[in-house]
Amino acid sequence: MIMSVLSAVIGTIALSVLVGVPSVYYLYCGAIGGVGWLVYMIALNPAGQGEGVATLLATMTVLLLSRFVAIWKRCPVTVFLVAGIFPLVPGAGIYWTAYYIVMNQLQLAAQTGYEAAKIAAAIVLGIIFIFEIPQSFFLKILRKFSG
Amino acid sequence: MNDHQEEAVLELAQQAGHVLLENGAEIFRVEETMERICRYYGVKSENAFVLSNGIFMTAGDGREGTFARVQQILVGRTNLAKVTAVNQLSREIAEGRYDVEEARKILEEIKRMPEKRKIVKILGSAVGSGAFCCLLGGTLEDGLAAFLAGFILYIYVLQVANPYLSRIVGTIGGSALVTVICGLAHQCGLGTRLNSMIIGSIMPLIPGVPFTNGIRDVANEDYLSGSVRMLDATLIFFCIAIGVGFGISLLGTVTGGDLL
Repeated sequence: MIMSVLSAVIGTIALSVLVGVPSVYYLYCGAIGGVGWLVYMIALNPAGQGEGVATLLATMTVLLLSRFVAIWKRCPVTVFLVAGIFPLVPGAGIYWTAYYIVMNQLQLAAQTGYEAAKIAAAIVLGIIFIFEIPQSFFLKILRKFSG
Repeated sequence: MNDHQEEAVLELAQQAGHVLLENGAEIFRVEETMERICRYYGVKSENAFVLSNGIFMTAGDGREGTFARVQQILVGRTNLAKVTAVNQLSREIAEGRYDVEEARKILEEIKRMPEKRKIVKILGSAVGSGAFCCLLGGTLEDGLAAFLAGFILYIYVLQVANPYLSRIVGTIGGSALVTVICGLAHQCGLGTRLNSMIIGSIMPLIPGVPFTNGIRDVANEDYLSGSVRMLDATLIFFCIAIGVGFGISLLGTVTGGDLL
């Protein structure tokens, strides 16, 4: 569990380098990616099912954190958002879909492709829901924190 | 304010919008920044229409002079550092720290801001691949193989794909390349879980910025730009899948099909 969150943190930071995130924000990006992955793992039920719901919850967590940090650091939210989403993107789904198509197992290909699309839809919904919360809500909470 | 000053303001706003759009900002951020700059310097009649690959801008209402410009913007390689810098600049303008000329100079500096060095990007891709391989069920040894694949992948991306190939062909080539590298590494005895190795190594190709920006544009009801960006992201996802498919078939042919 710790190992896996640690790899999420490292992976997130490494991919933030590729999209040109300024280096002062690396640690925030890594932390957000790590927390997102932690939520994902906790939300998955023991049999490893329910990826859709887990992804939705994880995305919403990533979004909340990103918006807080963006307002706190006065920086575009995209910086943290993109980084935090990386561990949740259905990379595995893409791979398995391609794999089954090449192996001529079309039933399995359709199934994994559908799963990948479902995860992508969960990410989309998570982003849209949290952006409905008005900016003033985040400002209010941040003000409370800073006393 | 005379026409000359007014033109300088509009020019500044448009350049700021250009840098933002080119480097992966959302549509509403571009529009908001341009408007904020114009309002602060006292140009009231500014009107801008921003698409994912162009800015259409006019000003003039009888009291203020007429200004119109259309600018096509080729969507470049994302560089969020520039988006952050322009965002900062527009905040500081609104706080009243610069006159138009000073702001223009700072914007010029932002445009010339150096990219991250190539070796840093290559290492980023390598470490990212390794880490995501471990995250998605690989062992440390698999991670090492993915590290190698990610390393070679970004040398290819920076030296071959970005300068010479289209996004479609570049992405298909890249994901086929990592699949073959992982297969060969596996064949040579490095790494045991080929699947995790390949999944980890395709991560640097994932179009994170167009994907999230597309969603946000649609959520902000910028449907036109949002759907273009979503289409871009979806296309890249498909290209990754196609490349992996090519790679697997190639490996299958070379090794007689019992590899996977």
